[in-house]
Amino acid sequence: MKYKIIKALDLAGLSVFEPVVKLVTWDEPRVQVTKIFHFIVIPILAFLVFIGLWSVIAPNHKTKSGEVPTPNVVLDAWENILTFHDREYQKMEDFKLSGENRKKALEEVISRLSALKPIIEESNLHLEKMRAEQGQIVEEKVSPIQKEYDRRKEEVKNLQGQRKEKITTMAASIGPDDKPAKEELLSEIKKDSSLKIKERETLNAFKDRMNDARSYVHLPTKKAITDNSAIMAERQYLMKRQELLSEDNRNIKIAATKDDIDTYRSEYMAASGSTLLSKAKKVIRKEDSIKRIKGSSYAKPWTFLDQIWRSLACVFVGFAIAIAIAIPIGILCGLSKIFMAAMMPLISLFKPVSPIVWLPIVFIIVGGFIDDPDNAAVHPAFLSSAITVALCSLWPTLVNTALGVASIDKDYMNVAKVLKLGFWSRLFKIVIPSALPLMFAGLRISLGVGWMVLIAAELLSSSEGIGKYVWDMFNNGSSETFAQMFVVIFIVGIVGFLLDRIMIILQRSVSFEASASTL
Amino acid sequence: MSYLELKDVNIGFGPMSDRTEVLQNINLSIEENEFLAIVGFSGSGKSTLINLMAGLLSPDSGTVTMDGEAVKEAGPERGVVFQNYSLLPWLTVAGNVELAVKQVFPKMSAKERKEHAEKYIDMVSLTPALWKRPSELSGGMRQRVSVARTLAIQPKVLIMDEPFSALDALTRANLQDELTDIWSKEKKTVVFITNDVDEAVLLADRIIPLTPGPMATLGPSFDVDLERPRDRAAINHNEKFKEIRNEITEYLITLKEDHKKVNSQENLYCPNIRPLDLRTTSK
Repeated sequence: MKYKIIKALDLAGLSVFEPVVKLVTWDEPRVQVTKIFHFIVIPILAFLVFIGLWSVIAPNHKTKSGEVPTPNVVLDAWENILTFHDREYQKMEDFKLSGENRKKALEEVISRLSALKPIIEESNLHLEKMRAEQGQIVEEKVSPIQKEYDRRKEEVKNLQGQRKEKITTMAASIGPDDKPAKEELLSEIKKDSSLKIKERETLNAFKDRMNDARSYVHLPTKKAITDNSAIMAERQYLMKRQELLSEDNRNIKIAATKDDIDTYRSEYMAASGSTLLSKAKKVIRKEDSIKRIKGSSYAKPWTFLDQIWRSLACVFVGFAIAIAIAIPIGILCGLSKIFMAAMMPLISLFKPVSPIVWLPIVFIIVGGFIDDPDNAAVHPAFLSSAITVALCSLWPTLVNTALGVASIDKDYMNVAKVLKLGFWSRLFKIVIPSALPLMFAGLRISLGVGWMVLIAAELLSSSEGIGKYVWDMFNNGSSETFAQMFVVIFIVGIVGFLLDRIMIILQRSVSFEASASTL
Repeated sequence: MSYLELKDVNIGFGPMSDRTEVLQNINLSIEENEFLAIVGFSGSGKSTLINLMAGLLSPDSGTVTMDGEAVKEAGPERGVVFQNYSLLPWLTVAGNVELAVKQVFPKMSAKERKEHAEKYIDMVSLTPALWKRPSELSGGMRQRVSVARTLAIQPKVLIMDEPFSALDALTRANLQDELTDIWSKEKKTVVFITNDVDEAVLLADRIIPLTPGPMATLGPSFDVDLERPRDRAAINHNEKFKEIRNEITEYLITLKEDHKKVNSQENLYCPNIRPLDLRTTSK
């Protein structure tokens, strides 16, 4: 049992947790504790240090989207993302509900709404109170500065007036040939303007101080605002649900339309003469619209979790394209030195090209094949992102496959010769199996590169996915969306890590020599 | 009537400017169902000789014929047991043998193929390890799989390239016995290359030494007219066995000495250099 777990951990490249298993079974506990300290506790501590530094440094930098979010804010943003996701899915459900279920859901929503009413009132009152409190605090801070500022301003005004008067009288008294007096006037004017600059600076400093005092963050108020907006958001969500469960519900709409059809039909049957045709048209129009309603669904926006799945789908499509190109070419390169020489210039030329260059080109080319993007089987933005991923990620697989095939053990080839294996069985029974471990090492790197490239490609092509999410959040520019961009970093990192682990497990399972690397 | 014949075979490697003639004037004829051993020092070109016989290499000049036909390429009629086993590590023991069987007997049904493979795996007593991969086997077991694989394709000539040289003495003795056993059951032409004279005398009908390379060639043939079955324990006291062994060993040693003489004709001047004592004198 113990060895099975250890073996499984090793297979998954998680052998850092081996000492934990051993410690549980009390196998050399001292050694295991040391190992746990070195390879589990210290990494955790390092991560905590990172979080600590982040929380301290981040709030010091103010941007136009607010402060750089701290870990707490990012965590809240993640929760909001989840809430949004759940609510959108709930709305989609509501739209389709019918019969008893719909009624029950509607009752729940209404009761929750009425329960929310006093809470909202209370929250509004509290918010107002807090705002007043904040205003008072700010006022207390600002008013002495304001007084001082006003006094100084008055003073400066007086001084400037006096100087101006002096200069004017001086200018009036100077005769036409009185050169030294003229020089003196010049220097007097210069002095005046430099004094003016100084005075303005002093006054501006006061203004800055006032602004600082005004932007004072009163934490209770901040909290009240957040709480209030959360409650308001819930209220809005519930109201929308209410609509979707009553008049906007699909089945309600269908029933209403059916009733309409019935009345129109009976009118049509009763009608004759000039109105007959227009009545017939009415019936047909309604019959068409009922079809449309039946096929409709709630226009749910993309939630972040949807975008993650979409990105995963995109990266796997791209990865599949990369495999389909890289492995056959890699095998041919490995088999034939001449083919390798022929491919070398192309490989060297295209390998370093950045996804930022590939994407626009691919986008235009793909766009040339798809005339109507909205009704195409595959959205061109999705396809071009996938192709960009493929173009950037196929190289490690190609090179590793070529290497794996070229470095096949001569003994295996001798076996193949003695057995007189044909080309295909030599390829599938000897060459490919022996190159598989290196191939998979290449695939692992490719998938990592692909995942990295994908985010940039989606951002550029605005193909739905994590990349587009980042771009939307960037354009939104609020402090909330700023924090959500930080969430993306962690999600991309975690997903990338998981993909890598999956590839490690695959790589291990095909390697016949148990020595694949862990990290 | 010779079955496998090498006539005036020469082979060398490398470009003209830096050429190593490995084998020269090789004339060898092997009778059908004969067990021939070729003994030689390491590096004398034994593996090259094997590759020539198997058809993995073609001679620069001279001919290799089998049953009157020229050998142009390798084929299953001359099964080779390679020195380093050459098992496919991603296949199990059964998989390795079946791959060979499937290729050589394509008409067999899956069931027949399986039985055929298992028969030969059983012959080398590896049935318990049927589903193991080569990396899970010991050296001796791997070599047995290699032998089973080669036997399973029922070659007319079995060529073995130092098959037991990488094994410890006990395993080797064990496998030698198994090999004689199999050979007595399935009469076959066997060419067995080794660097161990005792092994050669114990197993073979005839022994031919290979002179040290480069430009190695075959020495005179020694017949081993010992009764079969030969008992490993008793044979050590057999006068005839000792005689043949000593004869061959002596021949090989003189060859080696001659070879050394040839290589060091000039007396090299030895400089009179002694190390300096650099230790600081301390008292």
